[in-house]
Amino acid sequence: MAATMKLGTLGHAASMLSTGLLDEQFQKLLLLQDGSDPNFVAETITLFCEDGERTIGELTKQLDKRCVNFDEVAAFVHKLEGGSATVGAQRVKNTCIQFLEFCKEKSRDGCLKTLDTLRVVFYDVSGKFKAMLQLEQQQAEATK
Amino acid sequence: MVSNTRGSPVKALLVEDIAVCTFILSTMLHKFNCEIVVVKNGKEAVNLFLDGKKFDIVLCDKDMPIMSGPKAVEKIRALGETGVKIVGVPADDNAMEAFMTAGADVFVHKPMKLETLGTMIQEVINKKNIMV
Repeated sequence: MAATMKLGTLGHAASMLSTGLLDEQFQKLLLLQDGSDPNFVAETITLFCEDGERTIGELTKQLDKRCVNFDEVAAFVHKLEGGSATVGAQRVKNTCIQFLEFCKEKSRDGCLKTLDTLRVVFYDVSGKFKAMLQLEQQQAEATK
Repeated sequence: MVSNTRGSPVKALLVEDIAVCTFILSTMLHKFNCEIVVVKNGKEAVNLFLDGKKFDIVLCDKDMPIMSGPKAVEKIRALGETGVKIVGVPADDNAMEAFMTAGADVFVHKPMKLETLGTMIQEVINKKNIMV
């Protein structure tokens, strides 16, 4: 476990792991945090959440068009798939994989339904990530 | 543990348009004391080689705007850059053929493990040391 992370934060991460929201990749990321990169996990989570929100916004716009460009939609989904695989956001990644199937089939309905699922899953994990960061910050303030 | 007692730092080119992936891979490469250049698409990568820049290793995503990873790999190899180790690092399962046909040396599905990267960096260091 990362020596620089507080116990409360690690507990938060453990609960996200046990519910399948995150996979073992996130545990590996925790291990990358050390004295030379003390904010690594916070920066990673922040980037993932910001990227993910932007991507979901773009997907909404793309699927709102009268004539949907499924290649463009797939490109955005690929981005989120890559980011979620890299941070260990397992459920987001798996939802992206389903999404890509509907893009291949050029199914607007399938894509819209999966986008709804993606929104729920993404905001669930990003909400818990943000709570984790807040807890980490509060604990850091308390030990000053 | 990666050991480089004889030579200069490994020069790594990271071709990646996903910000969080760039950040994580850069952090990993720093742990192996690599000098890192980051570009956001295949065209920028090719342009660096056209400008005469040299790298020991290239880590390349597949799907990027303007020019994809496999396309960039193909063009880099066509410039005669056969010595640089090129690693395809895509998110999807179907990218292996595209990368290997284009001339990549290795294909590693995201997420990249630190140990896997360390092994590749050590291979590059060993190769550099032989050539010195």
